[in-house]
Amino acid sequence: MKTGRRRAPGGAAGLEGGAAPAGRGSAVLRPHPRVSLLLHRRSAATAVTLLVLLATVMLASACLGQTYVSPTEVWHTLRTGSGPHDLVVGELRVPRIVLGALVGAALGVAGALVQTVTRNPLASPDVIGVGHGAAAATVLALATGAVSSPGAMPVVSVAGGLGAAALVYVLAWRRGMQPSRFVLTGVGIGVALSAVVQLYLTDSELEAAEQVKLWLTGSLNGRGWEQAGPLTAVLLLCLPALVWASRAVRPLGLDPDTAAALGVRVDRARLGLTVLGVVLAATATGAAGPIGFVALTAPQLARRITRTPQLPLLCSALTGAVVLVTADLAARTMVPPLEIPVGALTSLVGGPYLLWLLGRGAATFRRGAR
Amino acid sequence: MSPKHLAWPAALLTVAAIGMLSLAVGTRAVPLSAVFDALLHGGGSPDALVVRSLRLPRTEVGLTAGAALGVAGAALQAVTRNPLADPGILGLSQGAAAGVVLAIGFGLANGFGGYVWYAFAGAVVAACLVYAVAARGRGGASPVKLALAGTALSAMTAGATTVVLTSSSATLDQFRFWQVGALSGRDADTVVRMLPFLVAGAVLVLACARGLDALALGDETARALGHRVRLVRGAAALGATLLTAAAVAAAGPIAFVGLAVPHLARRLVSGGHRAVLPLSALLGAALLVGADVAGRVVRAPAEVPAGVMTALVGVPVLVVLVRRKGAVA
Repeated sequence: MKTGRRRAPGGAAGLEGGAAPAGRGSAVLRPHPRVSLLLHRRSAATAVTLLVLLATVMLASACLGQTYVSPTEVWHTLRTGSGPHDLVVGELRVPRIVLGALVGAALGVAGALVQTVTRNPLASPDVIGVGHGAAAATVLALATGAVSSPGAMPVVSVAGGLGAAALVYVLAWRRGMQPSRFVLTGVGIGVALSAVVQLYLTDSELEAAEQVKLWLTGSLNGRGWEQAGPLTAVLLLCLPALVWASRAVRPLGLDPDTAAALGVRVDRARLGLTVLGVVLAATATGAAGPIGFVALTAPQLARRITRTPQLPLLCSALTGAVVLVTADLAARTMVPPLEIPVGALTSLVGGPYLLWLLGRGAATFRRGAR
Repeated sequence: MSPKHLAWPAALLTVAAIGMLSLAVGTRAVPLSAVFDALLHGGGSPDALVVRSLRLPRTEVGLTAGAALGVAGAALQAVTRNPLADPGILGLSQGAAAGVVLAIGFGLANGFGGYVWYAFAGAVVAACLVYAVAARGRGGASPVKLALAGTALSAMTAGATTVVLTSSSATLDQFRFWQVGALSGRDADTVVRMLPFLVAGAVLVLACARGLDALALGDETARALGHRVRLVRGAAALGATLLTAAAVAAAGPIAFVGLAVPHLARRLVSGGHRAVLPLSALLGAALLVGADVAGRVVRAPAEVPAGVMTALVGVPVLVVLVRRKGAVA
């Protein structure tokens, strides 16, 4: 963690005086005398590259599969909305690709927010119980048949995720919030909630159990516009908050005393960022089931590419989308007739990554991280 | 007699009482007199059949698995010098579970006798991996790192088991009942087959009892007192892994028995691990069978698996421990 070593780019000096250089690697855009925009050049370049990469992966995912459809035919189908490949491309592949990109982006941002708040690369929404909470609520709703319309599912899972996160937060609070206590409590609550899910799994019929089991690993199979709609709505609603968050995460990456000295209301900002992250993660979980480790890895990858001191939100979102769409493509095409749930694949790849991070000593909670 | 001396008879009485309850309580309530009658004389009455063929094996499995998990938890807490160590949290149970699933999925094993070897292999791999990962880096194997390594491993094995389960629904049907950690439907053979593993594990752990006491003082002090620290650690961890694997193979991954029980045992007796380990065995047996009995009662006539009950009871214990000052840092 290099947070302390380098100052946040463009401190007070960068904002004064028109075109003053805002430190190495950054530039200040002034489209209007009263508007100034701090641009981290490498981040901007990375974002553009990631966008191109995302478009490429999405196109590849639309082409590849049990039947190959050439890119020109994909383009034709998308443009006209009809043609011989409309069923495969327009109705099966494109919706799940779009959903995958949205879910990945939401998870990437959520991970970045939660990791910023806990100042720990290992904390992610799935570790602090959000995924388990959303899963438990959704499985309960599915099993009892209380909620049947797909439009209500996101509400249920967000409620479950928020509830679990709030429970963890309250239980871990003791004269302030200590990240390590937060993580341990989250692990415990996660175990309890998955026990509840298991209970419903054994209670139900085999067919229902298989369906729930599939949902529980997270899969984009057979999901599409129905799930993407509510997710898009939530993302759009969160957009203003995200703009606020992109400014708020910067001082919180420093240690809390420094942030407080800079005039940030640390506790309030932390709470806001946590709630935002939990809402995003829980919505994504409601749409595609708990897909592990995307929220954990995407921000870390993004930060390594952009080399910014704090976790970059936009690039985390793009990285999350690229990771998830790629993983879904791999899960679809690896063992041809079968389809592996994408959540199983991300766990198989992400688990070793987390172990590697742990082995490097990344879990050592820094002093002052209370 | 001081209160500390009363711990032993009290624990024994509790185990006996809960064992009797486990034989008597259920969808078909059997009066205690009939339970005694069935145990002593057998006979062909429906009550006797229920007690002898259904509830007795189940209770035996519960008692032995609970005792094994209790001892394993106490040993792991001493080895890692970590109040939050537990076979479930450290991922040993999940590792064992993954071994069993792979075995079922590839048609290598059927029934307990086959399960246990794969469970053992899975638990050993998990134990080595988790400890190796957590012990690296600054600060050694702290509670948070161990818990996170366990979580990562659990997630990984869950991914692997999912891949197996999605490709074969017959495996899912067999597996989902085993995975939840239930004691129902175990046959009388299970305990007999568990015994060699249990005895080996218990002997290993108990032989290290003095060494485990010394470990609490720190590695250097333990060495100065004449203990071979690496040997003690390795032997005790191996013993705990054996116990966990046997318990998991018999009853499925049951979490939190190993977490709560040693804390209680340490409060009840003095005299170091030579007293704490056996008492943990008794309390673990009482806790698991108690959870099983409670699971039969709370949603009668349906059953809540014992693993779910222990998780729901154990999490508050975990929260209390985490909130306690100095538990994490």
